[in-house]
Amino acid sequence: MWRLNAVRHKAGRQGSDLEEFKFKRRAHEKELRRARKDSKLVSKILLLNDDENEEDGTMDTLASDQVLELFKMVCQGRDLVKKEADLRALRKALRSPSAHLVLIRQQSSIAILVTNLRGPSPQCRLEAVRCLHELSQSPHSEVDSWRLRQATPYLITFISGQSPKFTELCLYTLGNMCPDSENVRNILLAQGIIPALNSCIQIHRTNLAVVEAVGFTLSQLISANYVTGRIIPAVLASGLIPHLLSVLTPVLTPDSQFGLGPVIECAWCLHYLACSNVDNGALVAQGTLLRCTSLLVTLGGAVAKGSIEEGMELLIWPLLRCVGNLLLSGPLGALQPQLNDSRLLAALCAFPQAFLQTHPALARESVWVLNNLTSAAAADSSVFCSALFYLNLVPVLIQLLPFSHGINIMVLRVLGNIAHQGREYCLHLAQAGLLPALCATLKMADPEVVTFSLEVLGQLVASDPQLAEEFVRQSGLPVLEAIQYSNQETIRLRAKHLLEHHLPPHCTVDTSASP
Amino acid sequence: MLQPELIQLLTASDLVDLRIDAIPKLQVGFSPGSLFSSFTSQDREAKLTFTFIPHQILLNKDHEFFEDGDIHRHLYLQNLSTCPVYDSPTARQCEFRCHISGCSQVFSTVEEYEHHYNTLHRHMCSSCQRSLPSARLLDIHIQEWHDSLFSILAERQDMYQCLVEGCSLKFRTREQRKDHMIKIHQYPSDFMFDKAKRIKKINIANKNRQQKGTSMEVSMSGSEPEDVCQVLSDQPEEEEYMELNHSLEPAHHKPTETTAQQRETLLQVSIYFKSQMAHYFLHGAPHDSNVFPLDLQSMCNDPECIH
Repeated sequence: MWRLNAVRHKAGRQGSDLEEFKFKRRAHEKELRRARKDSKLVSKILLLNDDENEEDGTMDTLASDQVLELFKMVCQGRDLVKKEADLRALRKALRSPSAHLVLIRQQSSIAILVTNLRGPSPQCRLEAVRCLHELSQSPHSEVDSWRLRQATPYLITFISGQSPKFTELCLYTLGNMCPDSENVRNILLAQGIIPALNSCIQIHRTNLAVVEAVGFTLSQLISANYVTGRIIPAVLASGLIPHLLSVLTPVLTPDSQFGLGPVIECAWCLHYLACSNVDNGALVAQGTLLRCTSLLVTLGGAVAKGSIEEGMELLIWPLLRCVGNLLLSGPLGALQPQLNDSRLLAALCAFPQAFLQTHPALARESVWVLNNLTSAAAADSSVFCSALFYLNLVPVLIQLLPFSHGINIMVLRVLGNIAHQGREYCLHLAQAGLLPALCATLKMADPEVVTFSLEVLGQLVASDPQLAEEFVRQSGLPVLEAIQYSNQETIRLRAKHLLEHHLPPHCTVDTSASP
Repeated sequence: MLQPELIQLLTASDLVDLRIDAIPKLQVGFSPGSLFSSFTSQDREAKLTFTFIPHQILLNKDHEFFEDGDIHRHLYLQNLSTCPVYDSPTARQCEFRCHISGCSQVFSTVEEYEHHYNTLHRHMCSSCQRSLPSARLLDIHIQEWHDSLFSILAERQDMYQCLVEGCSLKFRTREQRKDHMIKIHQYPSDFMFDKAKRIKKINIANKNRQQKGTSMEVSMSGSEPEDVCQVLSDQPEEEEYMELNHSLEPAHHKPTETTAQQRETLLQVSIYFKSQMAHYFLHGAPHDSNVFPLDLQSMCNDPECIH
């Protein structure tokens, strides 16, 4: 379990270490953002071994000739027990990245490791795969997955095997190799990685560590660039989906040792599949939408109770994205049976409230899903819009209007969707207190917010004269008159149109100077 | 945090009917004649102006919308998200901006924005770009200063209204009005709450805007946050203002000043006005003067001027 070990160690940090850690993290985050912009966002995992202590500072980096010496012994040794010891020593030496370069430059080094990987001794196999695993996550670009490709047919074969620890190592090694190059991925595909993953997840379905490893490897395979052509259709056709979905059980009593790890990985796989939009109908037909929404409801319940687990957002995020994109897989009316739990709407309103301060982007994505529910054809979306009123969720959305980060714009979209349904909906929106809230958003600095606010306002006041009067009563006229001086023409035109066509002529109370 | 209703809804384990299709649907559609009632709406102008149409949004995995979540995921994979107290982007409250073109001041609360707007833009005379505290005073100002008919009528009848709301008395001269306000309404002799605050005039390129008979020029204030009323009322800052007042140098207003300089100028001007208020209003300032009249004492010809 790679993560668990790391968490245990990090729990020991304190004081200045924390500051340094935060500083490192911030710098690292910037790097990641840059990498994402360049489409190069890639992560590799290093599995910690049980016999290692990460804090052990006594392990010195071996000099290159020492590494070579070890390697020579591995090549020459006949005695399996000794060979195992030599391999173990080599593997420990490879914990230091400089040793990677030494080894990779040595002729036939990978071939030798592969020989041991498929050799007769299980212990040697284990150490050999550990060596390959170290190499697979090397920071050196010279040690890329193409150099390690000789190992792949064996790694793939072994993941259908029975021994969990060995399988886990093979999986993470393959997972680390996936993002590097399209050529490697093509080889993996040809060598049958997908059926192998399929049988692995079935064989080891009770072993959460292996399930997590399968999820990780699959996510690496399908999230790389240029995969929509062959890899994703192969995954969709493979029968993996039902197994991924079975991991997404609504039972949220996370195993104390493994936490949400396995569920998180499978959820991210589903997100990558859904957003590729290759065949979302197939995903829905296999129950993806139903399972994801059920889990979101369960998570909503946990959030409502206040029991927000560490890492819960890592699970909510991909589920929201999966559901959000799957809502476009067909006419919303046809998806209705899978969306029939009204608590889904409540959960989608609860997440923004709960995560607003810690993860505002998650709040925004939650409202995005609401947008997709409320913006389909009127006949299909009206049921969701009506439900939002019935469950008294609109005031919750209105409370999100002061917040930037794209949140208020998405909320205004949803409110605009609702208003477009009809007069009854506009009246209910006004009852929920939207008009005074719009008076505030109309004054905001972001022109996009103002534009959307004018759209929603326009819909409201045009739908019923009562609402126009109410707007005036809320002292909305001076706000619109001020807007007429905006330097954005689109904004001025909308404001002017409303003043001229839909609002009663200037009242006696509280008019500003004549324009 | 979460509303109790929301909590109950999500944690209710008893057999409440949770099905969405069991919820009564509101009637869709608009009454005939409503602007947005259908796509065959007659009002083409409306359709061109208001362009929002509800639509679902599909997002692929590389969309920038997903950036924060992806970063969080990779930090987790790379083991750096396990710090208990870490700073990730928090939701900010939106800022508010003054919409008056050229003003563009930004505020962090609605109240600040409204105060700014009410002070500097609300009741603004379009002829001389002065801002008045209320609609009534604006009307009086326009009447007394920009209505040519007014001065003609004033020769024959009592035209100068008492400035106090509710008092309907009118007077033949400004001085009489002033006396009335001091004697009857007990205003201090240097108090003039409707002194028009002069703001810098800046042309904007809105030549296409056709307002009904208004001037094309809209003036913007500098970023002066203090308004006349604030300066005049008894505030602790008064001492400071008085001190500044003594050391004041009359400054010639240059149109090319920077914002900070404008601010400083306006502040000095408003401080100076505190003691020159009545004089300024009663004797008036030349309409065509773009110069802040900081040196009125020397300019005033009125023998009765007590300032």
